[in-house]
Amino acid sequence: MIETIPASRCPQCSMIVAPPAAYCPRHPVKMISAVLPGVGEVVTFTTLHSAPEGFRSPLHIAIVELEGGARFVCHGAETRGIKIGSHVAVEAVDEVYYFSHLGALDRARLFWRRTGRAGERVNAIARSVGKRVWKGRQRAS
Amino acid sequence: MRDVWIAGVGMTRVGRRSEALQDLMAEASQKALGDAGIDVPDAIVVAAMNPEEFVGDGNFASNVATYMGFADVPALRIETATSSGAAAFFAGFAEIAAGLRRTVLVVGGEKMTHLATPRVSEIIGRSIDPYERSYGATMPALAGLITRALIAKHAATLREISQVAVKNHANAVLNPYAHFPHAVTLDEVMESRVVAEPLRLLHCCPISDGAAAVVLTTDRTRVRLAGVGQGTDTLAIRHRRVLTSFRATEAAAHDAFAMAGFGPERVDLAELHDAFAPFELIALEDIGLVPPGKAGSATMNGETARDGRLPVNPSGGLKARGHPLAGTGLAQIVECVWQLTGRAGARQVSGRVALAHSIGGLATNNWVTLLEAA
Repeated sequence: MIETIPASRCPQCSMIVAPPAAYCPRHPVKMISAVLPGVGEVVTFTTLHSAPEGFRSPLHIAIVELEGGARFVCHGAETRGIKIGSHVAVEAVDEVYYFSHLGALDRARLFWRRTGRAGERVNAIARSVGKRVWKGRQRAS
Repeated sequence: MRDVWIAGVGMTRVGRRSEALQDLMAEASQKALGDAGIDVPDAIVVAAMNPEEFVGDGNFASNVATYMGFADVPALRIETATSSGAAAFFAGFAEIAAGLRRTVLVVGGEKMTHLATPRVSEIIGRSIDPYERSYGATMPALAGLITRALIAKHAATLREISQVAVKNHANAVLNPYAHFPHAVTLDEVMESRVVAEPLRLLHCCPISDGAAAVVLTTDRTRVRLAGVGQGTDTLAIRHRRVLTSFRATEAAAHDAFAMAGFGPERVDLAELHDAFAPFELIALEDIGLVPPGKAGSATMNGETARDGRLPVNPSGGLKARGHPLAGTGLAQIVECVWQLTGRAGARQVSGRVALAHSIGGLATNNWVTLLEAA
């Protein structure tokens, strides 16, 4: 299952932040609630070997850019196989968000969703080409 | 706007100090006032980042002013996290430039080595966005995230980053005020303990005690304050689109050069905020001291060494002189003034224009200050 992550969007600049904030960091306006899918690309990550009080070392921390644009800070169980640009799922365990490799099922779902979007685009282009051809004929006659 | 001049400077030795913070600040203040030949300043600006947490004292401007015998002198405290010293310098500058005061003592410092390292990290970490902090993000963790992005972008190699530490330690050997006046080799840096991948221990500045002070005046002296600029950015680093350069530094440099009326090509030496070694490389490019993408190679080929084209951190920087938080921004200015007036001893370099760059928090409140020999 792909989780959803609560976020907020600035009505002025459209910046999306997660978790949600009351005000846009760059504009003094109230943000609007939004929801983002818990999937995205790793922007950067680190492993902290001297974790602060209350955390266990080694502590894996990543910034993940969620689909929809918000960058999100989360933990990981491990960083083996993780690279900048890796596609990861982000999900909450006990109210703490973790990144992990996308499972086969999640990948399939994402693939269909993307092709779905691409399909719509192809349809739209085909429709507009059709219209132009139709109008051209009308003008010619 | 009135011209503002540096009348005197002074600082304590940086390192593990047994004295109270008030004693360190008094020592730096007396040295600066003595250097200026001024008994009592018109006003005092105090920089301290976390005195409530580190030493348990609040109302800190009055506390320090009274402690050193200036209970009757108006004092205020300035705080912008790790750049508090530079911010206090700006406040002193503004008071004089506006014609409100004729002489201002600016003093900053921190005392923290008496606490255990995890406690110190936690207190400094309070300057980080609360959500990111709730995920265990400390300053080294955020610096690790930035360093990984920097290396992935081929903006710097780990070798170039490590060379910053080697160079700054070499400079500190000649600085009697430095926390770590000893040299390190490239191998030692690259093989030191991993702190926050890919950052290692010798890429990080130490926890230091110390204080520094500057006296500003309306009267002409040997060093003029040519320009000051402040730049800011989001508290959370996840709210930034770019991690490999700091908007706060770019904006601060832009404003400082605009005030000075000249560009980075006039800068002869610089003290840059190398709390983490890669930050020196980022600052070199953000300020425009080297062309984009050239900070690493400039460091490797010695351009930023003490005998290079543009000596950077002749004091040893935060890395090796040490980083007494609110004292650091002022310690940088003290070093610049000593260099411009030929009083830097064995580490003396030549130059007429010096630049100091200070980062507050994870580059949320940065300052660039330009000083010019008259």
